[in-house]
Amino acid sequence: MSTVRLLQAMGLTKRFHGLQAIDDISFELWQGEMLGLIGPNGAGKTTLVSLISGTLAADSGSLFFEGKPIDHLAPYERAHLGIGRTFQVTKPFPRLTVLENVAVGALFGLGGGVRDLKEARGRARALLEFTGLAHRADQPGDQLGGPDRKRLELAKALALRPKLLLLDEVMAGLNPSEIDEVVAIVKKIRDTGTSILVIEHVMRAIRSLSDRIIVLHHGEMLADGEPNAILADPRVVDAYLGKRRT
Amino acid sequence: MLRWATPIVCAIALAALPLTGNDVLVQYGIDALLFATLAQAWNILGGFAGYVSFGNSSFYGLGTYGTAIAMAQLHWSFGIGLALGAFLAVACAVLFGIPILRLRGHYFAIATLGLSATLSAIIANLDISGKNIGLILPLTRADNAFYEEALLLLIAATATVAWIAKSRFGMALLAIREDEDAALVMGINTTRYKVAALALSAFFTSIAGGIHAYWITFVDPAGAFDLTLNVRMVIMAVFGGPGTVFGPLIGAFTLSIVYDVLASSISTAAALLFGLVIVLAVIFMPRGLWDLAAGFRREGARYFLRNIRAHRL
Repeated sequence: MSTVRLLQAMGLTKRFHGLQAIDDISFELWQGEMLGLIGPNGAGKTTLVSLISGTLAADSGSLFFEGKPIDHLAPYERAHLGIGRTFQVTKPFPRLTVLENVAVGALFGLGGGVRDLKEARGRARALLEFTGLAHRADQPGDQLGGPDRKRLELAKALALRPKLLLLDEVMAGLNPSEIDEVVAIVKKIRDTGTSILVIEHVMRAIRSLSDRIIVLHHGEMLADGEPNAILADPRVVDAYLGKRRT
Repeated sequence: MLRWATPIVCAIALAALPLTGNDVLVQYGIDALLFATLAQAWNILGGFAGYVSFGNSSFYGLGTYGTAIAMAQLHWSFGIGLALGAFLAVACAVLFGIPILRLRGHYFAIATLGLSATLSAIIANLDISGKNIGLILPLTRADNAFYEEALLLLIAATATVAWIAKSRFGMALLAIREDEDAALVMGINTTRYKVAALALSAFFTSIAGGIHAYWITFVDPAGAFDLTLNVRMVIMAVFGGPGTVFGPLIGAFTLSIVYDVLASSISTAAALLFGLVIVLAVIFMPRGLWDLAAGFRREGARYFLRNIRAHRL
């Protein structure tokens, strides 16, 4: 981990009609860092990821990526800068093959992507190997089952060659051995120097992955700190892990 | 290379059709070739990007009037007329496309519906386009020349679509069709690709309109901006196989033959039976003839059963 700020959020706010989804959130993510984002359902975690990836526009506040403001940039422009995300409800391109799904990321990712289709397919193939999907390369995207859909979501985001990878519950719905596989993949991604923001409910995974954890509750920042300290913090325990019976 | 043998042989056979000396056949041929071009042009945005446009009849009308105004009013050549029509249509596609392609799905289709009526009303009130009476073009050429031009245009449109299907541009369009939100976060400037697809579609559509105008030597607003023509483009492309290279051609030729046979044998009930053919096609082969060919080879009659079940009939 370095001391270079990759992402900085200042006073981010997002309101859906009456609901304050994100309320004055400020944080930073360092280059090479793996930042965990936890909080109960409805805390605003996915909204925060959408604000960073540009699929939602913030009402106020600002975002800086590599020191430059990105608030006015469309999602595709943020992808070109190196911000990649996965969706909690996976979004494969249903009638494209798994290989094509991933090749799209290589064709249009970091810096606008590669021009050559063959090169894009080659990269896609390598990523399918990496995520354990190589044997599914020629199947249509909508024919994958749960765990493979999560792997495809991950491979698609990786194909963008992101500097910052936003992972929105890539382990939800997986069994323990599948979770271990995905954790291993995510660790390998971090080892390549990619910074990661990971939303996860699987505590075992988040504890072993994160360098630091931030906790959201009702759209507000509840805590920010080192994993063991955070998970022992009584406020976090009350809000998220459940009130201790006395 | 073998994959291209069939289309090349077909193209040569079609090019040789006027040698039969059968004038009626050549006239049917011009119509069928122009329709196939229109279906193929519609396929670029409609089939690949999944955006159903009812604005293509306005590009056709602009191509028609561009050629007619150039030749009848300004006494320019046919080639310059086609260029003028294409320029008007592509300019209209870009200007209209940038705001309207922000709309998704049905909303886009509805928004395009108004375009033909608007342009038709404008044309019907301009002196240079002969107001609502129309324009008469010089009668100077034999049908065979129009036939070969229509064939060349169809080949050019199909070659373009074949390139799209294998290109980065085509991948962007397919990604937009499959999931536009995902396409955006995957780095695709969706607006730019959709506008480019609409402009390409407008280009081929307008040239077909120009050739048709010079061929029948008469244009009027109602005929040039006819929405039913747009409906036929959609039906032909969807019947053959949207988002494929040869589907729209096969759909256009098949339906042209079906329609002409029905019209000449049982003229009054032709439209009714034509409708029946479409209904049956939608039930039994919702992804078109092209998919039917592949699906039938793979699973036989079960292909139909699967489609029927998908409709819960």
